[in-house]
Amino acid sequence: MTKAPDTATDEQLVVLVLRGDRDRFGELIGRYQARLVNYLYRLLRNLDDAHDLAQEVFLKVYQALDRFDPQYRFSTWLFRVAQNAAIDQIRRQRLKLVSMQRDGMGGDEPHEMDFPSPTPTPYGDLRNSERGGAIQAAVDALPWEYRELILLRHFSELSYEEIAQVKRLPLGTVKNKLFRGRQMLKERLAEFRVD
Amino acid sequence: MAMGTPTHETWEEWLQMDFDGELGDLSDLNGGRQARLREHEASCAACTAERASLLEVARELREAEVAVRPDFTSAVMSALPPAGWESRHARAWAVPAALIAGLGGAAAIVAGVSAAQLRPGGQVLGAFRALFDLFSTAALAGAGLLQASWRGVGLALGDALSGSWVNMAAFGIGVLGLNLVLLRLLRKGRTAEAMARRRR
Repeated sequence: MTKAPDTATDEQLVVLVLRGDRDRFGELIGRYQARLVNYLYRLLRNLDDAHDLAQEVFLKVYQALDRFDPQYRFSTWLFRVAQNAAIDQIRRQRLKLVSMQRDGMGGDEPHEMDFPSPTPTPYGDLRNSERGGAIQAAVDALPWEYRELILLRHFSELSYEEIAQVKRLPLGTVKNKLFRGRQMLKERLAEFRVD
Repeated sequence: MAMGTPTHETWEEWLQMDFDGELGDLSDLNGGRQARLREHEASCAACTAERASLLEVARELREAEVAVRPDFTSAVMSALPPAGWESRHARAWAVPAALIAGLGGAAAIVAGVSAAQLRPGGQVLGAFRALFDLFSTAALAGAGLLQASWRGVGLALGDALSGSWVNMAAFGIGVLGLNLVLLRLLRKGRTAEAMARRRR
């Protein structure tokens, strides 16, 4: 088989894999693994879970590769699958946590419904922590809709158009939300610097 | 296309787009937004500060990136399951097809040689007849065996169950128990898999 040049696009690599060149899928993994693991890590807040889920996402994508629609970009498809998988996992974790809280507390008082995190979230606790923790906390403190866009832009390195496709949002909305999200992020990081 | 002086919000929007590489240099279409932004930034302290803060945020986010396990790609590649579309691929059929062709060819040669010895002058036709006889005999024998074995199982079950309702109840409990054991084994496998993943 003729080897494609190293500059083959993602879509060309998909075609080669579908023609039977299985190893080419490794190139796609190599291109996206860092972005995908980082994206999932910021959503799940656990590096092992992020690696496991990233692996699951690649396996899902491989199995459905023949259903890839070449009118979209591979990155868009990959991150949409990843986003859905992450949301499912977060839901499962929340359900587990709620069930644990019910078992442990027994009362009807409202409790914060969030999943366990290895990093502290309240800002006050971050004064002496590392910068990475502050960034994580600042990102975590963003409302979900803004957080996702910031992650897709900065960690997944998707363009506005790709983000619009992944999120099924109009381009203008993506721009505005990214703008707002960044403003919030800057404000929160500034608060940390002041602290 | 002529454009008026942009508002501060527009400058901020352009600044962000430029920062993300989305403003482009479509000077013919949009009046050279990039060039205008550069010109504006040179004289606007607020926009210069805004760009600096955007750079700072991006740098901090980049520094917060985590490293991927070095064996990640090989782990995924070795875990790739056979996909449905692979079986439809021509390459997937190449080995079985070659094997069948080879076996068929070998059988034809053997049968041809035998037929030539029995019926000189009709080697080719003889070879095909011999092959056909061989396959049809094998198919008939297989079908007969299958039928006989199922009939045997049916008869044995009939004998065992027709005796009394106690036998029937015992049989039902046996089947139910077997299902429960299988279910338990499946669950055990899933739990072990989940634990192994957690440990990883």
